[in-house]
Amino acid sequence: MAACGLFRSLSSSVAAVLPLLARSAPLSPLRLACKPYVRRTVASCSRLSAALKFTDKHEWIRVEDGGIGTVGISNFAQEALGDVVYCGLPEVGTQLAQQDEFGALESVKAASELYSPLTGEVVEVNTLLADNPGLVNKSCYKDGWLMKMTIANPAEVDALMDEAAYERYIRSIED
Amino acid sequence: MQGVRPVVEVVRLGLVAYQEALRLQQVYKKRHESSPAHTLLLCQHPPVYTTGIRHKPYPAPLLDQLCLLGADVHRTNRGGLITFHGPGQLVCYPVLNLGSFKKSVRWYVCQLEKTIISVCSRFGVEASTSPHTGVWVDDNKICAVGIHCGRYITSHGLALNCNTDMSWFSHIVPCGIEGKGVTSLSAELQRDVSVEETIPHLLEAFRDQFNCQLTHAQTEEERTDLTGHGSQLVP
Repeated sequence: MAACGLFRSLSSSVAAVLPLLARSAPLSPLRLACKPYVRRTVASCSRLSAALKFTDKHEWIRVEDGGIGTVGISNFAQEALGDVVYCGLPEVGTQLAQQDEFGALESVKAASELYSPLTGEVVEVNTLLADNPGLVNKSCYKDGWLMKMTIANPAEVDALMDEAAYERYIRSIED
Repeated sequence: MQGVRPVVEVVRLGLVAYQEALRLQQVYKKRHESSPAHTLLLCQHPPVYTTGIRHKPYPAPLLDQLCLLGADVHRTNRGGLITFHGPGQLVCYPVLNLGSFKKSVRWYVCQLEKTIISVCSRFGVEASTSPHTGVWVDDNKICAVGIHCGRYITSHGLALNCNTDMSWFSHIVPCGIEGKGVTSLSAELQRDVSVEETIPHLLEAFRDQFNCQLTHAQTEEERTDLTGHGSQLVP
């Protein structure tokens, strides 16, 4: 089926990303985006957690310094899925339009599609999920992140729900 | 709308090639675009092995070997590992919008399992679930489950062994679970239990478990419009 091409092994995605970060050629916008993120990750986790935006498909995106968005699924979504046993994630470099299917999570013999919250390019996927897909359940906002992408259209971020709006949305679904 | 049970249309496809059933599921999925249009497709397939979204355990050479047995082989986008479908197995593809039920695939799969447990119970067969998804009679799987969900629309579904030729399963590790076997209603009851005998029990159990109303595709013309050709009924 057509989507097969997206689901290459994660090790090849990592191989594609690492040389890009290590090269000392003239800086490209992509490298400028990557370097600041790596330095600031640990120190600013708690500050950034306040900046989550949500889609109505229960994905979240956190805008990091340098205009890269980290994408994952919400607690509501991981509970609704059950134990995740496999993460089918895109190749680095994949171009996504908002709402494009970018992968699937498998749980309890169900494959559930993932939809891109924004328009942009995949710059990194979470390689830890290959051996530890359960991170999506155990730490959906932190270690269970799925992918990082560039943000081609910042207005799309503004249109997403903030945490309070998402909480209201969840309550309206559960009724 | 509180208290209104969702309506699910039952469509009997008869003996239909796996590829054709995939095409039909897409047709029925599209119907949900304007408003909920739940359907329950029932069919049997000529012998076919299918795999799910996890491709690594099943490289092309392995699948080529299965082709040599005279079966069709398909990779799919459903959850679950490798399984077999063939005559004598009741295959059900509920194409539901979970928004009319409960927006959780975990709940949905559990409901499918409970439906099958209820069907088995009506035949006097004691079935159960296990940490491995599917429905089991002791250490033998009687029904496989593997679904896909996108925008709350479900596809793929379940496959209940009625009087399936079980020898087809010996060429694979069903659902990737080593050390377990497979069984069927006929094997458990030591008499022939056909797909046709099983269908009414499945429909009742599905209706009760999902708390829905069932309608039936009425006319040949209606079926022809949607399927592109008249469906064949298994007598």
